[in-house]
Amino acid sequence: MASESTWTASTQAEWIKFRTVRSSIMGVAVTVLLTVGLGVLITTLIRTHWSQFGALRIATFDPVSSSLRGSLFAQFAVGVIGSLFITSEYTTGSIRTTLTAVPNRLRLIASKSIVLFFTILILGEFVCFAAFLIGQRIYLGVVPTASLENGTVLRSVILAGLYLTLLALFAFALGLILRHSASTISVYVSVLLIVPIIGLFFPQSWQNDFMRFEPSSLGISMESPFAPSNSFGAWSATFILLAYVVATLAIAFVLFQRRDAGTNQ
Amino acid sequence: MIKIDHLTKRYSDTLAVDDLDFEVKPGVVTGFLGPNGSGKSTTMRIILGLDHATKGQATVNGTRYAELRDPVRQVGALLDAKAIHPGRTARNHLRALAASNQIKKTRVDEVLDFVGISAVADKKVGTYSLGMSQRLGIAGALLGDPGILLFDEPVNGLDPEGIRWIREFFRALANEGRTVFVSSHLMSEMAVSADEIIVIGRGRFITSGSVDDLTKNAEGTVLVRASDHDKLATVVASNHGVVHDANDDGLTIGGLTSDQIGQLAFDAGIALFELTPQRASLEEVFMDLTAGAVEYGSHTTGPANG
Repeated sequence: MASESTWTASTQAEWIKFRTVRSSIMGVAVTVLLTVGLGVLITTLIRTHWSQFGALRIATFDPVSSSLRGSLFAQFAVGVIGSLFITSEYTTGSIRTTLTAVPNRLRLIASKSIVLFFTILILGEFVCFAAFLIGQRIYLGVVPTASLENGTVLRSVILAGLYLTLLALFAFALGLILRHSASTISVYVSVLLIVPIIGLFFPQSWQNDFMRFEPSSLGISMESPFAPSNSFGAWSATFILLAYVVATLAIAFVLFQRRDAGTNQ
Repeated sequence: MIKIDHLTKRYSDTLAVDDLDFEVKPGVVTGFLGPNGSGKSTTMRIILGLDHATKGQATVNGTRYAELRDPVRQVGALLDAKAIHPGRTARNHLRALAASNQIKKTRVDEVLDFVGISAVADKKVGTYSLGMSQRLGIAGALLGDPGILLFDEPVNGLDPEGIRWIREFFRALANEGRTVFVSSHLMSEMAVSADEIIVIGRGRFITSGSVDDLTKNAEGTVLVRASDHDKLATVVASNHGVVHDANDDGLTIGGLTSDQIGQLAFDAGIALFELTPQRASLEEVFMDLTAGAVEYGSHTTGPANG
């Protein structure tokens, strides 16, 4: 069995690999741009149009999730980071070098998952806190604001960052199953965008049940201080999404363990 | 030491490796020879734990590769020089490789220097020529100073200077007591760079031995120029000889030694002008051995990839 030190070594190696390719750096930059940049844009628009908002809209207005909306776009950027972290190994053939250096496949996937989890967690929390704080600053004086001193608000911002992290891992697991960048990203985008549209064709009674299990709906639940109608609460949504990720990773790992890695297909 | 133990690999409907069983010993350069598609790369991938064996197993130093704790320190491998992320620099590629097996960072500079790519170490690998990629692959194989080295078709893409460099390098590694296992489909290359050769075709073991043994045991022919070729041909035929080729330059005779032919000619009263034993080249031996085992041969000219 591998000792503790070899686990550290393979994780260090994966960290070096992660930060030394441009796609990771670009992905991080796009995540910042989308979450914070779109956050600034959306909150500014709300501030400038606030006087025209109707009573109902003002009554149901949520300063927290409205400032975090950019993260629903950034989920595509972290998905690309997560999938490329493994699919680029297959498209370039470098998986062979990687596996000759770390032939214990459980250790390899654990190391990659750890690197991805912590990198995107730090990134996700950073961009979500930034988007929230900048958004509240923009709202200040015109639009009602929220404070991190409120526990529910703090939870929403933290879970918004965790949502991005879990989605990056989900994309990583899909990539490990599909071993191809384009198809992985297509499937990932389909799950986030097309599946909700398919849900619209279901009878109304099924629709609500179906839609709330959809990752994007779970994400909205996670980053809202109060559970949106027909949705799960923040913690339930977090655990359901976590279950998706763990299940997909488990399937991916079983396949990875059984498959030959020397040839691409 | 590498041990291949009744190894079989089946990919859906093709049998890529069929009950291979051999050992690769330290201290010599062992060539792994076979036409393209004969199962050399598959065998190497199984040795490295990349592909799973259908039956049998491969071990390095008595252990399955997947169970090695620090494989880069025990086995260095170069399978495909282009199988490196093109967006990463050579130095970063080697740093990650070193980190994964707890090898000192300074070793990265040493191997970069040794293969002669220090000057381009901070350029992206995607900008490298095939020859430079090969050198980087060799640097990666040497990183952990391993006792066992595997190279799959290492001379591909190298210029003549690079080929000579790599031959001397294999020799030096073997002289240091390391196990050096080099695959190739080019017998001419193996003839000059390997000490021992293992020949396979269609996934099956064909023969093994030293380069000298392989060519010695092969049936040689004798080139004869004589006063009467027709008469000599008849005499040869009636004495269990075979005339392979007859033209104005003379007869190429198999199945008899030059001594026997000389005696037969003397007895028949034929004057001999030339009597030259033709030693089979490794290439001819290889062609003979693998004639039935070429997957993609061209029918008019015999085995391809000659």
